[in-house]
Amino acid sequence: MAQRRVLVCCATGIATSVQVSHRLKELLKARGMSIEVAECKVIELPARVSAFRPHAVVSTTQVDPKLIPVRVFPGLPFLTGLGIEAATDEIAAHLKSLSVEGA
Amino acid sequence: MGFINWLLGLGASVVLPIIIFILSMIFRMPIGKAVRASLTIGVGFIGINLVIGLLGNTLGPAAQAMVKNTGVNLPILDVGWPVAAAITFGTTSIVPWVFVLGILLNLVLIAVKATKTLNVDMWNYWHFIFSAAFVYFMTGNFVLGLLVALITSAIVLKLADFAAPVIQKHYGIPGITTPHLDTVTWSPLGWVINKGLDRVPGIRKWHASPGQLQEKYGIIAEPIIMGTVLGFIIAILAYYPEFSSDLGGAVKQILTVGITLGAVMLVLPRMVAILMEGLVPLSDAAKQFIQTRFPGRELYIGLDGAILVGHPANIAVGIILVPITLLLALLMSVLGVNQMLPFTDLAVLPFFAIWATTWSRGNVVRGVIIGTFFIACMLSIATFLAPATTDMAHAANFAIPAGATQISSIDSGAHLAPFMLAFGFIFSRAAQYGLGFQVWISFILAFALFSYIAYFIYIGRGHIPGIDDEHLYVEASDEDEVDIARGPAGEDAVDHVAVHLAEQADSSTGDQAAAR
Repeated sequence: MAQRRVLVCCATGIATSVQVSHRLKELLKARGMSIEVAECKVIELPARVSAFRPHAVVSTTQVDPKLIPVRVFPGLPFLTGLGIEAATDEIAAHLKSLSVEGA
Repeated sequence: MGFINWLLGLGASVVLPIIIFILSMIFRMPIGKAVRASLTIGVGFIGINLVIGLLGNTLGPAAQAMVKNTGVNLPILDVGWPVAAAITFGTTSIVPWVFVLGILLNLVLIAVKATKTLNVDMWNYWHFIFSAAFVYFMTGNFVLGLLVALITSAIVLKLADFAAPVIQKHYGIPGITTPHLDTVTWSPLGWVINKGLDRVPGIRKWHASPGQLQEKYGIIAEPIIMGTVLGFIIAILAYYPEFSSDLGGAVKQILTVGITLGAVMLVLPRMVAILMEGLVPLSDAAKQFIQTRFPGRELYIGLDGAILVGHPANIAVGIILVPITLLLALLMSVLGVNQMLPFTDLAVLPFFAIWATTWSRGNVVRGVIIGTFFIACMLSIATFLAPATTDMAHAANFAIPAGATQISSIDSGAHLAPFMLAFGFIFSRAAQYGLGFQVWISFILAFALFSYIAYFIYIGRGHIPGIDDEHLYVEASDEDEVDIARGPAGEDAVDHVAVHLAEQADSSTGDQAAAR
């Protein structure tokens, strides 16, 4: 399967998004998926989405879905640990479904 | 003693990895992972140092030339919170103390049921460390610094408790709060001013929606654009006298400064992200350690204020505050109450919008009014903390250009609670800025104190701030919110802003139930 790109976004592109991307990468690795992750600020999200062309966006803060054409997943489970497995499964399923469509 | 001084003299990029490695061992991390994480932190420091060097060598001379040409007195560089955080982690004599005692204090306060907030946001312990550090560097009293940091962290936990209901309702994120010093310590002030605005006839009903502001003007607030544009403006003001003598050279200077500062704005956070990457495993281990201590207790999980910033009202106010902050800086320098040229932290103004908008449930007009007042306070406090911050940077071996001006950041100026606590010990330092500064800074302190007292009294009388008076704000603004407000309690989690967050809420309550 081609490598999928995930863009993790928060208010600073540092504070919470790096934690989320770290955990997401490990959890997807445990599911046998390797992904390419980048972090960004919510304010630069539309620009980064068009440059990085991610297959999914994970955000720890509110995102206006009208601004971006990619599905947005909640990042909070990766910070709190509550519901983290379910959230990962959802993202994994989404990324896998894309690869089927792409084939 | 000689050895310890030699060790500390090695600088943060060497000492901090060692400290982090030791802390990692205490939290029982695998050794390979610990080594990698510790090294990553050292690498992050070196990366940050490179960018500060670039910032200092570009913005420094340009800002000095601008000061000379225009007569504005803004000699302090706003190096931004990323550098403030890095410098703070570089005060290696304080870091382990605040980490260990801070975590212990949180656990004790939860155990005796003095707070419901479990702060798992290890990264933002830098705010408490910064509090300890600036008090220590200003007074030379280590224990006092530590005390201020610990009392501050207790205050922040209480403020997070009080803020939890309105955060959870307005942002639709159940079980969460934000014990985030540089934002939540402003919540009582925002609350008081918002209550005051309720009584002002004109403003009372004035409400602007964030609308398409991000779509239209969001590009200006993107770091790379903002850095480049500001760089051009500063460089033009710095080098225009050379137009007549050496036009080509001056234009070259201006273009170079512009693109370099765009680069700084973009690259600096990336470098801090490396530092952060190294801290994540330790922060995970520490989080595990504290989360397993209280199974079955219903606690608020304390996270970075960053999770609230994406709300359209906060982004809108943050964008509007950019020009206001620059104008304020100029105006306040004329009045002698500010000496800092805002730059790097212009990228994080939406943070300071949080407690300017939240009490009125996202009213942009009020957000701008309250936010402007916040920024005015922060600029003065940042000016006041600049000498200490510069000393800290030198002590941590950071590349502050020789003979350069002082450094500080807007975010440093947002450390309100420790500033209030330490004020009695450091007030004498205000004298060097003149009488006007002393009067203004005393006013800030008095107003902050009044706000805290009024806020605590309101809560002491059994009110829930932001919830008991929500009918004032919610009805007029947004129908969806009204429905939620009136709906059965079980529907509280469903917020119009982000329905997908509600899915997460469902799954997390499921998990909690499973855990029990």
